[in-house]
Amino acid sequence: MDVSLQILASGLTLGAMYAISTAGLALVFGAMKMLNMSHGAILALGGYLSYFALTGLGLPAPVGITFAVLVCAAVGVVIYHIVARPMLQSDNFETRIFIATIGVGVILESIILEAFGPQPKPQPVSVPGSLMWGGVYLPYQNLMILGVAVLIMAALGFALQKTRIGRAIRATAQNRDAAQLMGVRIGGVYALVLAISGGLAAVSGITISSLSSLLPNMGADPMLKAFIICVVAGLGSVPGSVIAALFIGVFEAVVQYIFGVRFSFALLLILVILVLIWRPHGVFGRVQGVRL
Amino acid sequence: MSVELSIQNLTAGYGAQIVLRNLSLDVESGTLTALIGPNGHGKSTLLRAISGLVTIAAGQILLAGTRIDRYRPDAIVARGIVHVPQGDLLFPDMTVLENLRMGSYLPAAARLERQRLEEVFTLLPKLRDRQQQTASTLSGGERRMVGIGRGLMTSGRILMLDEPSLGLAPIIIDQIYEVVDTLRRSGRTVILVEENAVRAADIADEIHLLDHGGIAWGGTGAELSGRPELLETYLGA
Repeated sequence: MDVSLQILASGLTLGAMYAISTAGLALVFGAMKMLNMSHGAILALGGYLSYFALTGLGLPAPVGITFAVLVCAAVGVVIYHIVARPMLQSDNFETRIFIATIGVGVILESIILEAFGPQPKPQPVSVPGSLMWGGVYLPYQNLMILGVAVLIMAALGFALQKTRIGRAIRATAQNRDAAQLMGVRIGGVYALVLAISGGLAAVSGITISSLSSLLPNMGADPMLKAFIICVVAGLGSVPGSVIAALFIGVFEAVVQYIFGVRFSFALLLILVILVLIWRPHGVFGRVQGVRL
Repeated sequence: MSVELSIQNLTAGYGAQIVLRNLSLDVESGTLTALIGPNGHGKSTLLRAISGLVTIAAGQILLAGTRIDRYRPDAIVARGIVHVPQGDLLFPDMTVLENLRMGSYLPAAARLERQRLEEVFTLLPKLRDRQQQTASTLSGGERRMVGIGRGLMTSGRILMLDEPSLGLAPIIIDQIYEVVDTLRRSGRTVILVEENAVRAADIADEIHLLDHGGIAWGGTGAELSGRPELLETYLGA
């Protein structure tokens, strides 16, 4: 009983971290059919910027985190204007932007490597202490990550459902032409979703590195997981990706406990294959009809 | 009556494929202009060019004397040209109400949202009962009505309807045409793309026949009825 609760607790923490990075990726893909391959690098950048602000500049944690989030959001806007916008009208936008953002990721990672070096660095944002609750060991750090994830997802969900700009994002995702005909300036929507996604990547980078450490390529694994989660959920579904992220976090924790860490990724991929055989468009995905 | 929308020597298409060639057309304020002609000869492309979804290669489009052909689609909507596209293009995961409210997205329309919504529900009573239904679960006729209703939620002075009767049962088509007729009588300028020349002749003040990306013939509905050879040549009717 205690063990299963313990596994559930660490699985949910893992899932919460996945959810933060996956929601951004799903938002961008949903709104503009853009698979942002530089998402992992932005995530690492966010972690390092927080480290730089707190350790290098000596700023208090809330200020440092805000700084990292804002810079990563700005990186998202820059990616829209310099990389995505020039090729928006081209045929094969989806393929081109996929390749182009791989390049962006390499550039960002090289900048991090140049600025901070290849050695691991500790993430100074951490909450010490822990809680024993019904025989379950809960570090405050994990509780904070869960809390932050819940807060961010609730805010994102509220913004998408209830605000004017959120409706514009959903409209753009569901039908780009129709959104434009209603007066939505889709360029603004694209820049905004990349900014939100960049900010979420920063939060994700800070939380992930706070449990391990900072490395220039630390974004690779979370991004791969985020892609897997997006595919399982159905590309572009933000609520679906959050549910899938939590589920996969718990799945990983269970597999790691029963079979060991080395099996977790292999079993995760087997799960993905099974899901895609069962539902080729993802659990929450919609069949994309082609209309002539 | 004055010319509200003037299209002058318009050439447009998709990439290297030219669809409209040197097309000129004037639409007078408060009239219903029907565009008829065979499929694939540029009727929808003309509407898409006017609303800014298709970039034009040459020529110009004037709205009440002002050039609008280099504007983005959202700026064109803001100036009062509403395009109800073919195939509805609803937001499938939104409810009927959310779809309608997207029509009043722009600030000018948002101020009148409550009043417009009431007008739309009066004109299309079925939508009132279906407010909370997700758009993707509606029938073809209901979808079309949401598309038209959504267009009416905008602050549009010119309403462009692309084949509102396409693929619908005759009884539903009658209902749609009643709505179009009401809109015409309300004093709006309407541009209607229609496959069915007889229906178009019934309702339109002016009819233009599009062929190979240009205007092949223009006149009133009565004039068209007197020229059966035109229908035979262009529409195989």
